[in-house]
Amino acid sequence: MIKINRPRIYSKYEINSIVFYGTMLLLMPIVLVFTYVFDAFTNNYDVRIYLLILVGITVLFTIIGTIFLLIKRDKLKRMVKATYVQEFYYLVIISIFGILGLVVLYKYLGGSPEYIASILVLSILLFAYVLLNLGRKYFNLNYGRKK
Amino acid sequence: MKKRQISDESLNRIIKYLAIIILGFGIILLAIQFSDFWNWILRAIKSVIIPISLAYFSALIIFPLIKYLEKKGVGPRGFSLGLVFVLTVGLIFAAFYFLTPLIINEIKNFFTDDYPVIVDYINNDLRNEFLFGADLYDKIIAYVNETNLIADTVDSFVPKLITSLTNMLLPLLTAFALLPILLIFYLNDYEVIAERMRSIIPSKHEKNVAELSSRLNQTVGAYLRGQLILMVVLGSVATIAYKLIGLKYYFFFGFLVGVTNIIPYFGMLIAAIPPIVYTFIATSGPGPLLVLLVNVAMQFIEGNIFQPLIMSHQLSLHPIIIIISILFFGSLFGAIGVIFASPIAASIKVIYRFFTDLKKEKLKNSTTEATSS
Repeated sequence: MIKINRPRIYSKYEINSIVFYGTMLLLMPIVLVFTYVFDAFTNNYDVRIYLLILVGITVLFTIIGTIFLLIKRDKLKRMVKATYVQEFYYLVIISIFGILGLVVLYKYLGGSPEYIASILVLSILLFAYVLLNLGRKYFNLNYGRKK
Repeated sequence: MKKRQISDESLNRIIKYLAIIILGFGIILLAIQFSDFWNWILRAIKSVIIPISLAYFSALIIFPLIKYLEKKGVGPRGFSLGLVFVLTVGLIFAAFYFLTPLIINEIKNFFTDDYPVIVDYINNDLRNEFLFGADLYDKIIAYVNETNLIADTVDSFVPKLITSLTNMLLPLLTAFALLPILLIFYLNDYEVIAERMRSIIPSKHEKNVAELSSRLNQTVGAYLRGQLILMVVLGSVATIAYKLIGLKYYFFFGFLVGVTNIIPYFGMLIAAIPPIVYTFIATSGPGPLLVLLVNVAMQFIEGNIFQPLIMSHQLSLHPIIIIISILFFGSLFGAIGVIFASPIAASIKVIYRFFTDLKKEKLKNSTTEATSS
């Protein structure tokens, strides 16, 4: 049998799942990063309590979103696009804020400031690797390929 | 050796082009004689073109949202338009309401805390730390004091700046005041206006013009939307990154990154200069190298990740084209010309591509016809 070297095109269900769980994973760092910039709670709340509330909200959103995804599953499985540029673009944007949020989280948890640069570089590399692979495999975007 | 003869057809074509060129020069010469009249006409056209173009570009950003709402059953047009309009105005107002006090506060703090220190540094410490030695510094200061260079420059520069700002500000304010009204009417009758425009065009060219306008709307709209998102994202990322490294006026510098990013490629470079200069002078906070590193990282992310994602392959413009278009449209339309230089250049590229595609298609059709006959 001749093997056709054509990339598999995923349905909106798979793509939406990746985007949704990615968002939920990065929700806490993203919220943290904005509260950090506006100095929203540093003096009024205990950071750990605030983090616990955030984790609770994230879990709640994840459960609601998963139920919603499961309800819409059949409909979404029938929807297909050739490439998912906009979805990937969204994922890149939230990842950038997420990376910065991870540094803020590290700072809030009392981490030493001298390791911030190392954490930043490591998380950028990790995210770049994950995003490149996700883009190539699921979103049909090959960044490494020459034009 | 036998001389190559020019065919009658080529000769006719050359004469035709020469006649057109001479006629063109004649018309230009005639037009120059009435320069005041043309200036008057051009000023009138310019005052119309700026608000109309602003409304057109804004409509390209907003209209897909209205279409999306209508697709989801939010209608009629007046309702979806009102919803989007209230949302947009609310967002702009909220951004101004929350960010303006923060930025103004930082500017105030700069003038009360850092400005006296900077002046003191220039007057006292700069001499000792001057890169080319204290002697050269003394000579420069003596020359500046002797020739009254700074006072003269300020005296000649400030009135010019005020005049150019007033000239620029008035059309800008008029354009921005007219924008909401123009936008409401344009978006409400978007399809009707497009249909009317199409009806003016001779039926022979109707199909091509419709195809071209659809391509223009799609590509330039995508470009503008992407650029707007990029401005917000990079401005926010810069603010966060500046705060993380401990830079003092992070809101102002981050805002600067967002605003200047309206000029592709060069905006980030322009925005990097003030924080780097500030860190050179400031006694506390991060060093200039760290700020430079943050800016280089952001430039890398913008150029290698966001720009290829925003601009499709056919819309990507070479940096040299962007420089030329910024210089050209900037001198034609001032600040608005600089801001809209890239979308105008992108539109020209789309038009050029369209005509080359049309030419190719015609050639292909004629060869198919020739082979079939």
